[in-house]
Amino acid sequence: MFSFAFNSFEEAIYMNGHGIYVWIVFAIVFLCLTAFFVSYKKKIQRIKDKLNESD
Amino acid sequence: MIKKFIHQFASPKTYLFQVNRFYSFIFYFSLVIYIFSITWGLLLTPEDFVQGNSFRIIYLHVPASFLSQSLYLAMGIASIVYLVWRVKLAAYLIIAIAPIGAMTTFIALISGSIWGIPTWGTWWQWDARITSTLILFIMYLGLISLHNSFSNHEKADKLLSWLVIVGAVNIPIIKKSVDWWSTLHQSASITLTEKPSIDPSMLYPLIGSIIGFFGLIICLVLISSKHQILIREKTKSWIKDYV
Repeated sequence: MFSFAFNSFEEAIYMNGHGIYVWIVFAIVFLCLTAFFVSYKKKIQRIKDKLNESD
Repeated sequence: MIKKFIHQFASPKTYLFQVNRFYSFIFYFSLVIYIFSITWGLLLTPEDFVQGNSFRIIYLHVPASFLSQSLYLAMGIASIVYLVWRVKLAAYLIIAIAPIGAMTTFIALISGSIWGIPTWGTWWQWDARITSTLILFIMYLGLISLHNSFSNHEKADKLLSWLVIVGAVNIPIIKKSVDWWSTLHQSASITLTEKPSIDPSMLYPLIGSIIGFFGLIICLVLISSKHQILIREKTKSWIKDYV
């Protein structure tokens, strides 16, 4: 169940021609999640800084 | 009794302190499950007999699709709670969830379109499932724009809650579209009532990726709602103590 499905790293990237679709979707999901986490963290920090300044 | 319970445990102050308590645990737990399941799905499961390796998009597409509908349902429940019991936190949650719902629907649409190229030979088809999901995405964007266009937050919350409830009619349409109409989109591989039509070697990483993604999205909702509370309650004295 846990054996590598491909014979090499290059094969895993290429995936018999389907790699381009799979890895593009992977990149989109990764970028969206990272962007949202980073942006909310920054927004919260900005509000906290503003509230601290106003004290 | 329900009203007393909700008001006691749904005060923004209590919520904010509880978020800080559980956030890290949920985040790291979900991240580990998600990374493990995605690695398993993308690199360890065998190739699909019909779709080849393009089927691996399922581990990214299905969790996003599932969450896009679940988040809207969560907004619907929050809307009812806000309109019936006037719980402020519910109103904050509605607008905190909307951008994350839009993001998951965007991922579901884009990943589905990309998956369609090698499997269907087209990236878009105006069939019931895809069109109703596009409507869901437009609804999320519309709700965000509408809320941002109001200067009176209370008025915006009330209007938004009603619109969310009216728009909830789209969720069963999305869910049942593949059964009610003849669509290009395949019917559900996993249901609560029937045995899954997917092989266990492909099913387990799929369940793992759904759980992991669900946890990460919960974390996003938690920090997004924290952001909303800090904006809306910034004049309250307890916020200064919190910061």
